[in-house]
Amino acid sequence: MKSLKRGSNLITLMIFVFLIGMGILIWKVLTEASFYISHSSEGNLGKIYDCNGEVLFDDDAKSGDYPDGHFKDIGNLIGDTSGQMTNTLVNKNLEKLSNYTFTAGIDDKNGKAAVYSTLNHAANEQVYSAFGDKDGCAIAYNYKTGEVLICTSRPNIDPISGYDDIENLPSGSLLCKAFSKTVPGSTQKVATLIAANEIMGNDTLMNKSFSCEGVYKNNTGMDIICHNEYGHGTQNIREAFANSCNPFFAQLVEDADWSISDIKNKYNALGIAVNDDEESTFEINGIICETASTDLDNKNEFDTQWGCIGQGTTLVSPCQMMMWESAIANGTGKATMPYFIDHVTNVNGRITETADTSYSEQMFSEQTAADVRDIMLENGRNNYSSIGYEVGVKSGTAQVKNGEEENSLLTGFVDSEDFPIAFAILIENRQSYDVSTDHIASVILNSLS
Amino acid sequence: MLKNGLSYFGVMLFSLLSHISLLIIVFVKGNYDNIMDPMILSAAVLGLDFVYYIVLNFIKQNTYTFDILLVTILNISVIFQSCFGKVGFAAKHFGFSIAALVLCQISFKLVQDYRKIEKYKYIFYGIIGVLIVSILAFTGSRSMWIDLGFITIQPSEFIKPFFVLVFATSIIHLRTQHKILGISIVYDNWVLFGLTGVIVLLQWWCRDLGSLPTFVGVAGCGLIMRICYPKAKLSKKLIIGICAAGAVVVLAALKLAPGYVQQRLHVDIWADPNGDGWQQCQALMAIAEGGWFGKGPGFGRLYKVPAADTDIIFSSISEEWGMLASLLVVFMILLLIITAIINTPRSYFHTTLSVGASSVFIVQMALNIFGSCNLIPFTGVTLPFVSNGGSSMLACGILAGFLKAGQAMVYYVPPRPTAQTNNRRQRV
Repeated sequence: MKSLKRGSNLITLMIFVFLIGMGILIWKVLTEASFYISHSSEGNLGKIYDCNGEVLFDDDAKSGDYPDGHFKDIGNLIGDTSGQMTNTLVNKNLEKLSNYTFTAGIDDKNGKAAVYSTLNHAANEQVYSAFGDKDGCAIAYNYKTGEVLICTSRPNIDPISGYDDIENLPSGSLLCKAFSKTVPGSTQKVATLIAANEIMGNDTLMNKSFSCEGVYKNNTGMDIICHNEYGHGTQNIREAFANSCNPFFAQLVEDADWSISDIKNKYNALGIAVNDDEESTFEINGIICETASTDLDNKNEFDTQWGCIGQGTTLVSPCQMMMWESAIANGTGKATMPYFIDHVTNVNGRITETADTSYSEQMFSEQTAADVRDIMLENGRNNYSSIGYEVGVKSGTAQVKNGEEENSLLTGFVDSEDFPIAFAILIENRQSYDVSTDHIASVILNSLS
Repeated sequence: MLKNGLSYFGVMLFSLLSHISLLIIVFVKGNYDNIMDPMILSAAVLGLDFVYYIVLNFIKQNTYTFDILLVTILNISVIFQSCFGKVGFAAKHFGFSIAALVLCQISFKLVQDYRKIEKYKYIFYGIIGVLIVSILAFTGSRSMWIDLGFITIQPSEFIKPFFVLVFATSIIHLRTQHKILGISIVYDNWVLFGLTGVIVLLQWWCRDLGSLPTFVGVAGCGLIMRICYPKAKLSKKLIIGICAAGAVVVLAALKLAPGYVQQRLHVDIWADPNGDGWQQCQALMAIAEGGWFGKGPGFGRLYKVPAADTDIIFSSISEEWGMLASLLVVFMILLLIITAIINTPRSYFHTTLSVGASSVFIVQMALNIFGSCNLIPFTGVTLPFVSNGGSSMLACGILAGFLKAGQAMVYYVPPRPTAQTNNRRQRV
């Protein structure tokens, strides 16, 4: 009889193991169902609001519910569920937006899931309009908290109005340029200045002076051309930074007080992938931002010097430029990490996630932050008073498409405890008569003040 | 005494009410264009119920619980299969369900008396041999189907019941050990061991890796049952040995598994929902969309995904009927197996048969449900009694007969046995 009982025990054991598996399965499904739904084409999504409670995303909206073009300033940042845009706040946060419970299923229309963003829609609209017919992008955030307030990109689309004719959309309409690498032009001199100050020390750096005659023939016989064909004469670092003098910075790169490996290490600390370094990305609430890259081989060669000036193969995203500004402005040498999502509510309206301010690794010393801040503020006071705020800035002109076009850039920060804004602006293919980056900066700050 | 517990009328009423409830849901919430569609389905399901309830009365047996549970599950599966995408009537599935019921009764009669099985066991070895040859000759090295034009047959499904059967034979010979090179061996055990090896290699060859764990499960259970006999207790050495052997087999299988299997072991299906894990992703999404109570019969979208009515049927049911319904079906299949525990078989032959049949059902349920839901690698096997597929359904019908036989045996009454033979029979 005991032998016969063995069979029952064996069956019981198999059933027991199977039931454990079923238990795990049920637990897995219950805890991950929202995630599964976030990949499904079905389901009801909650809204995204801006910092003033204005709707930025409404999955149930039909054409006519909102004014035509109402979301055009943030269309390619917020995104939609069409699958055409992937690097967007909606696409990367579908699970948080999911108005779904396993009990109510996908038909729950009374769900309260929502994402409350830090973006200021009214300010974005003003900045978007300020670009006029020019393409480019602007991003601005609170460098004390990390709240991104403005992030607009042109050309753009309004997801609610529709954009069926995708093939004929202007290039770049479906991606926010703030997260894509671009030639930074002389805004890269901020990174080179930081590296020089870190390695040489402020006193040594301040005592260095180099001459600019309009063109500098470097150690390998190549010409480094200055934007001022008559030259800037003999300058120190403060003057050269304000003049954005290419020959000065070429001579600085050649200087014997630092080596190419020193520059490489400091660039790495700033998050720049050099030569064969693996190019990485970082995420802001799921949105992927490309990190900077450049090539540094021999400090006597043109390409390396050209790269440190911000041309050639050097590429930086406007978002990363803005983060460097935060590390200078907040005085820590650590970038304040930006975020778009202030808080999230679940289907029951309960807050499930709130943003915290966080910082990057130490990129440079607090002393360097103070030294560079001082130089940038001096530049702002002397050359960018038209912006109307106490700002530390650096402009840049980037040669793109083999020099056929020039992009205009401006990156900087407001020196104010009560108005701690860092920003980066890119205007593509800008002509002298077009809107200027300092005007856009002025609109950004006015719209946020 | 066998524990009937529930009255014939009570079990029948439960079965009938289950089907009527589901059919009412089809009428009220179902997706159909013509009222005749659910009407035909209802007529077929309820008609089969009544016919089977009547037929059962003509079959001499100790308990009807198992039979009524079986027809309940089969008719529920007919309702489910008829509703995927739109309410209709799954005539083919209905036909195979009837065939499974018939085969269940035939195999029940066949294995009631262990002496007959013992006498004809070589026929079953022969059938397995024919099926193996048919696989080698007709399916090809990367297929598991024989296409006859009007129908496709999966021979490995039919091997399963006969494989279970041969493991239960020759129990009496376990006591007859032969000394070879000083080692005591039982011939039959080595034959079965060799047969298992041949079948495993065959499954590997034709890439039917879904059935492979089922055969290994049956062989494992059969081996334990045979080693147990006639002692009631396994020695610690033996348990450690079996565990070690099992671990070696699993590790070797993982090491030698083909590339696509290795990939399935490590693949993150959500990294590329449209890639290798597309079916599982769709299956999990469908479960989530269905929630506890489902979208309604015929309102699912998973039916468009390949194998929606076979390999990922748990999700298809969950989507349209809710996860409660799919869990209920699983519970009912388990209940079917549990009847073999409640009504413990009175012979070692029937116990071994019940364990083998149960292992097929449980392993297949685990592979089907856990595989489609990405808890384990997705191998693509059928859910017993529920998935669409004739070969699988017929094999399940035969195996169900084995389970039933353990609960309603015919005893051989010998003419005043001698002391020696009496002793032997009592043990068997």
